[in-house]
Amino acid sequence: MTKKFAILFVLLSVLAFPFSAFSSEKDKGQVDVKENIFHHLGDGYGWEVPFSHTYRIPLPVIVRAEDGKWFVFSSSRLSQISEVQDPEAGKSRKEAVPVIYKTEKDGKDYLFYQPHVSTHSGKVVQLFPIPDAEQKKLEAEVTDSDISHHVAPGYTNIDGKFWREYRCFDLSITKNVLALFIAAALVIWIVLSLVRFYAKHGYKAPRKGMGFFELCVDFIYSGVIKSTLGAKAPKYAPYLLTAFFFILTMNLLGLIVIFPGGANLTGNIAITLVLAVMTFIITTVSGNKHYWKEVFWPDVPIWLKCPLPIMQVIEIFGLFTKPAALCVRLFANMMGGHMIVITLVLLIFIFAAFGAATAGVSVVVSLIFSIFMLALDVLVSFIQAYVFTLLSTIFISMAVEDHKEKHDEVKAA
Amino acid sequence: MELFTPDFGLVFWMFIAFILLFLILAKWGWPMIIKQMEGRADTIDKGVEYAREAKEQLDSARDSAQKVIGEAQARQAEMLREAAKMKSQIIEEAKKEASEEARKVMEAAKVSIEQSRKEAELQFRNEVSKFSIDIAEKMVRSRLQNDAEQQKLVDKMLDEIEKN
Repeated sequence: MTKKFAILFVLLSVLAFPFSAFSSEKDKGQVDVKENIFHHLGDGYGWEVPFSHTYRIPLPVIVRAEDGKWFVFSSSRLSQISEVQDPEAGKSRKEAVPVIYKTEKDGKDYLFYQPHVSTHSGKVVQLFPIPDAEQKKLEAEVTDSDISHHVAPGYTNIDGKFWREYRCFDLSITKNVLALFIAAALVIWIVLSLVRFYAKHGYKAPRKGMGFFELCVDFIYSGVIKSTLGAKAPKYAPYLLTAFFFILTMNLLGLIVIFPGGANLTGNIAITLVLAVMTFIITTVSGNKHYWKEVFWPDVPIWLKCPLPIMQVIEIFGLFTKPAALCVRLFANMMGGHMIVITLVLLIFIFAAFGAATAGVSVVVSLIFSIFMLALDVLVSFIQAYVFTLLSTIFISMAVEDHKEKHDEVKAA
Repeated sequence: MELFTPDFGLVFWMFIAFILLFLILAKWGWPMIIKQMEGRADTIDKGVEYAREAKEQLDSARDSAQKVIGEAQARQAEMLREAAKMKSQIIEEAKKEASEEARKVMEAAKVSIEQSRKEAELQFRNEVSKFSIDIAEKMVRSRLQNDAEQQKLVDKMLDEIEKN
């Protein structure tokens, strides 16, 4: 019992510490809630290390400059650890500040920067110096009192000096991309270790972890794919099983706060978009005659489809809304879960302004709620992966279903 | 909003990662697992069926064995009975034969005794008749010394013959 409490305490302190560590970061003791939430939900060129907001695991940046040349460099080149004077605490502390990365290729200088005051805030851009006249012109447009926070479209503002920016074509191995590879490798490792177990032990049933994994495979294959697709199940099972376990792994990895996890993958619309597009491609490519007939000439009264193609428009719209729903459902559910947990934790810092007692109470309440939400997110991770697979299976089965027997049955009846 | 605009780099890498993952698993992963699971399910089904059949066979075998044992026991009892019967029969026969033999021996003995008795008798008789003839001769010789007497005797003999 005491051991359990000890573990719980350590986990709680791990949860609490990173936030308390960076709560002192803001000048006025106020936390920028919105920025924090979006920072944690979004992507990044480096991977945060626990207990530090300064150091990050550097990742490769792969960008194409405006003239079509490709550049690969470490994301650590884009920032520099420097001492920053904190007037509030009265002492200096280390902080990562963005710097311009200057490199030379074929006798030409290239400047890369990760801007904060720009329309492409947070993304790597290529910078070009501008003549003084242009700088003056831009300065004249500034109406804010503080010029260093003025965002001019097409320009990066570095402490009041403007640079023309070019948003690079960006194939960087960002935090999300690396997390993606880790998740994929994990899935491959789990699946292939089960296959290797089979090769070694023949018809012996696997135990423990592998047995549980096999149970999950069977749950999806027998319970969802085979019962819906019937004889066509083996053809589509690889895609559906891959989608299920990839989504599940990404969901669960996203809930782990430190290094191998913590990337909000399935809560990123790019990931769910690709998954939904895959389902859309498979559905469209494998759609049979009956499926397309239902789209272009459905079984409805003729006035609904003949002079004005009302049904056709609805059906064609439906072709796209189905995968779009898949995409948005997974994205919104996972992002929502992450957002709620982050918001609950941030409540501590919001309430901290009202004094020690309020802060203490809010720590306890927020942690209890966020742990509850994380536990719920484990369930949601599984449910969303299941729902995505289930709906994909249904969409595919709608496209490939053989309607011959059904018509015969109707006629016989 | 940045959150709602998909980043091209991520889309690109996700596409690559997913396709690679799919190809690897579709080639070396899922078909093997599905085949294995279905194969095992079939094996288990077959095993259950086999066990059921085996039990049935065992039951019927046990029945037939019981029957065979019963038959064997009956036959054994019969054989024992027969053996007992045969034994008593053999004893009986032996006894009979023995008594027969004994009887025969006795009879032979009797016959030989009779024979020897008869022989003895015959011999005795011969002896006696010889003695009596001798005696009679002597008597007759002594008695028939006169004629009267001889006449008388002849008469008497003739009378006797006539009477007969």
